[in-house]
Amino acid sequence: MHKIEIDAEIDLLSENRRLAAENRKFLREQGIVAVNIMGAIGSGKTLFIEKTVEALRDIRIGVILGDVICRADYERVAAHDVVAEPVNTGKECHLDAHLIHHRIRKFEDVDLLLIENVGNLICPVDFDLGEDFRVVMVSVTEGDDVVEKHPEIFRLADVIIINKVALAEFVEADVDKMEKDARNLNPEARIIRMDLKKDIGFEEWIEFLRGVLNVSGNSG
Amino acid sequence: MHEMSYAEAILENLLNLAEKNNAREIKKAHLVIGELLLINPEQLEFCFRAISRETIAENCTLEIEFVKPEIRCVKCGKEFDAPAGVCECGGFVSVNGGKEMILKSVIMEVD
Ligand SMILES: Nc1nc2c(ncn2[C@@H]2O[C@H](COP(=O)(O)OP(=O)(O)OP(=O)(O)O)[C@@H](O)[C@H]2O)c(=O)[nH]1
Ligand SMILES: [Zn+2]
Ligand SMILES: [Zn+2]
Ligand SMILES: [Zn+2]
Repeated sequence: MHKIEIDAEIDLLSENRRLAAENRKFLREQGIVAVNIMGAIGSGKTLFIEKTVEALRDIRIGVILGDVICRADYERVAAHDVVAEPVNTGKECHLDAHLIHHRIRKFEDVDLLLIENVGNLICPVDFDLGEDFRVVMVSVTEGDDVVEKHPEIFRLADVIIINKVALAEFVEADVDKMEKDARNLNPEARIIRMDLKKDIGFEEWIEFLRGVLNVSGNSG
Repeated sequence: MHEMSYAEAILENLLNLAEKNNAREIKKAHLVIGELLLINPEQLEFCFRAISRETIAENCTLEIEFVKPEIRCVKCGKEFDAPAGVCECGGFVSVNGGKEMILKSVIMEVD
């Protein structure tokens, strides 16, 4: 027996990137726009998806719902008569391209694929799923320092939603500060102040979505 | 706790390499990890220990080298430690690198 040292130079993240690229290719070929919805536990992701599905009855929508163990979110969304699929990550706190890869064929007939990531502002950041848009949803009840405490996820988002703004005064959260922190980290992102219960900001999201769906429809 | 995903990727690649080289035991793995991946080295070690049990990597030492991202103001060039906020000059702070996870080299026992 003897020891050898091997120059490996292996990029350990390349497998997720490769699978994400395959997902992306499939989605492009089928003309599907995919949106990865990330955010803290209880920020409102599932309600946001339910309302989006109801607001866009004229297009075909599929939803993948990531959860650590249960199927509660899946059942809520499936009740809205869309193609839905639960993904239990088990020990993981994020979805990855591999988990999506196994399920994506089920969605070949949809125009829009919404993916609810596991409630978490840290782990999903570095796992590209093959999506077209990254949405990060936070709510004022998480505290108005939630944005500055998790710079990476906000820096890499396309759309940043600050939800439950109607509760801001009761929890003494400064929404202007949250928006400013988000803007500083990500000057290009679309930032939307929202309240899903009071119907604030939701129309702006639907307009954004209709915009991107048209663009992708025209370019194939 | 995304460390488990990374531990799995490390183990899988180590075992592949060992097989290619007909190794009997994997002794040491040198990893280069970007700080922005927010990896906790103790947790990574813990996950790796758990999943490598009863494999030829069970006694493998993980040697972790962290690399910093380059975070600087695009306007005045001031450097920062973390990707937070705009620079006091009003310029946007850009972030480069800090997200890599490379298995640099491996020491193995062969016949
Ligand atoms: N007051 C208020 N409550 C909201 C709003 N949006 C969501 N909620 C409530 O917040 C709770 C959590 O919402 P969900 O949609 O389940 O949140 P989620 O992000 O999917 O949660 P997880 O899947 O557990 O991470 C529910 O009771 C919602 O009804 C809002 O704008 N205002
Ligand atoms: Zn949910
Ligand atoms: Zn995690
Ligand atoms: Zn500056």
